[in-house]
Amino acid sequence: MDRWFLIAATALAAVGGVIGMWSVHKGTRNRWTVIWMIAVFAAQLGFLSVRGEARAACPLVGLGEILVFLAWSLTLFYLVVGPTYRLSLLGVFTAPVVVVFQAVALLPGVLDPDPQRVTGSDPWRETHAAMSVLSYGSLALAAVAGVMFLVLDRQLKDHHLQSGLFRNLPPVRELLKSMVRLLWIGVALLSIGIIAGFLMPRQSGGGHLVAALAVWTGYAGLLSVRLVRGLTGRRTATVAVLLFVVSLSVFALV
Amino acid sequence: MELVCVGLNHRTAPVEVRERFAVPAGKLGESAKQLLEIEGLGESVVLSTCNRTEFYLAGDHAEDAAATLRRKLAESHGADSDPHWYEHHRLSAAKHLCRVVCGLDSMVLGETEIFGQAKEAYRQALDAGATSGVLNRLFQRAFGVGKKVRTDTRIQEGATSVAGASVELAEKIFGKLAGCRVIVIGAGEMSRQTAQALVSRGASSVFVTNRSFDKAEALAAEMGGRAVKFDEWQPVLAGVDVVISSTSAPHPVVLPHHIESVRRVRKFRPLFLIDIAVPRDIDPACGDIEEVYLYDIDTLEQLADEARTRRQRQIAECDRIIEEELRKLNLPGT
Repeated sequence: MDRWFLIAATALAAVGGVIGMWSVHKGTRNRWTVIWMIAVFAAQLGFLSVRGEARAACPLVGLGEILVFLAWSLTLFYLVVGPTYRLSLLGVFTAPVVVVFQAVALLPGVLDPDPQRVTGSDPWRETHAAMSVLSYGSLALAAVAGVMFLVLDRQLKDHHLQSGLFRNLPPVRELLKSMVRLLWIGVALLSIGIIAGFLMPRQSGGGHLVAALAVWTGYAGLLSVRLVRGLTGRRTATVAVLLFVVSLSVFALV
Repeated sequence: MELVCVGLNHRTAPVEVRERFAVPAGKLGESAKQLLEIEGLGESVVLSTCNRTEFYLAGDHAEDAAATLRRKLAESHGADSDPHWYEHHRLSAAKHLCRVVCGLDSMVLGETEIFGQAKEAYRQALDAGATSGVLNRLFQRAFGVGKKVRTDTRIQEGATSVAGASVELAEKIFGKLAGCRVIVIGAGEMSRQTAQALVSRGASSVFVTNRSFDKAEALAAEMGGRAVKFDEWQPVLAGVDVVISSTSAPHPVVLPHHIESVRRVRKFRPLFLIDIAVPRDIDPACGDIEEVYLYDIDTLEQLADEARTRRQRQIAECDRIIEEELRKLNLPGT
């Protein structure tokens, strides 16, 4: 059952993304992106609730569940930020990322087909896992907004203003604002996750906590420099995208 | 039942003719009511703007009434205007109204002001009791067609002037322009128009600088802004979002080092530079600075030109919608 929810969520995100991109290509605004993403969100909730019930805990065991939780978190932040800042195009850019995360989770062997009940559950461990993955949803969406900014910035600089994409992209300032806010939210959630990580009982060396601290330092550094000294939109966006890609790779290795 | 439109517009009559037949904005209903005194006329609407004066007439003998109207106009305003008038009858009159309401007959193709003006003309005629079954249905359908054309086509898309293209770009960079600060370097007509367009969209603070301080003060007063002495404009750069430059200087006035010197103070916020001077006022190297978006007169004119071409391409689609909607209306007299 859970697998079917995940297949449905992936298919919905793929179709929504393709329809959205087609509209952008034609230069029209697709008002259905949010509706598609709500459907994706509902299917993701279905998956997580089935797995959560099986685990009797937050379903964050193994790479598959983490990836789906991350995709859910990304969708959640899009649904909060997109309509609020009228960034419907953010959904078009978000959908492919959701598809990639969930498609990897669907690969044979990634998702545990028989999820077992989690024993010896610890509230700090659950807080650490949930907040860390939630923060990654926010940071992923910031990276998506960053990519959108970089595309728009290039088009404005080169005077390439005729594409459907250009017409549909939100203004530079709006993109920057939402990207920075998402970064702040992501860093705040990651801070809670790291604090909870230090408070939870640890069996191994805690290499991933060190990696999390390094990631936190990177993002906090970016925001501090922007706040105190100021930073161009292009550099902020580039660093936000790079930090997300690098941190995701680091966690895959740790 | 007959339907006729008698009118003159910017294509058929020069301004010195149009101004003689202009009806004051508050007297459109009264004029429409007066027209009903002509025998054979049951309904009328008078539309008068700076680019056109048109009389929409409906009645059992509206075509005769139109001839009487033209004779009366010739008697009261002079016969020399006669070649400037056009007439549309029956379906052609209905189509013409729809084209007018959609902005297809306007000087700036696709402009929307005419929609409101036609609505006001109809409202006044309705209030004056000068309309009934035929013109009520026709005008209401025309407004419906106007909305459909705006929604379903791209007739309004893109700015068709340098000032409009500048505003569109500013909105693409800053979103809503409320709170945007602008500096105008050189108090010429083009910069006045562009700054005015930005102010009309919400730009709040305007600084004006010019070699002749009197001119700067005059333009600043017009914009509700502040005049700055020509040797004192550089520090102002730190606080503005948009620079409009249009001086007659033979060499660049805004140089990269002017912007470099205020980047830190500006915290690297986006800066939109509009250079509408020839020779150019802003050194092209300014465009290489990361947060700077530089547009010169050629690029802006090209954007306006492309928008005009795109609008031209939409005319056939708009006419198709008009034909389809009028067919559905099946109005008596058409």
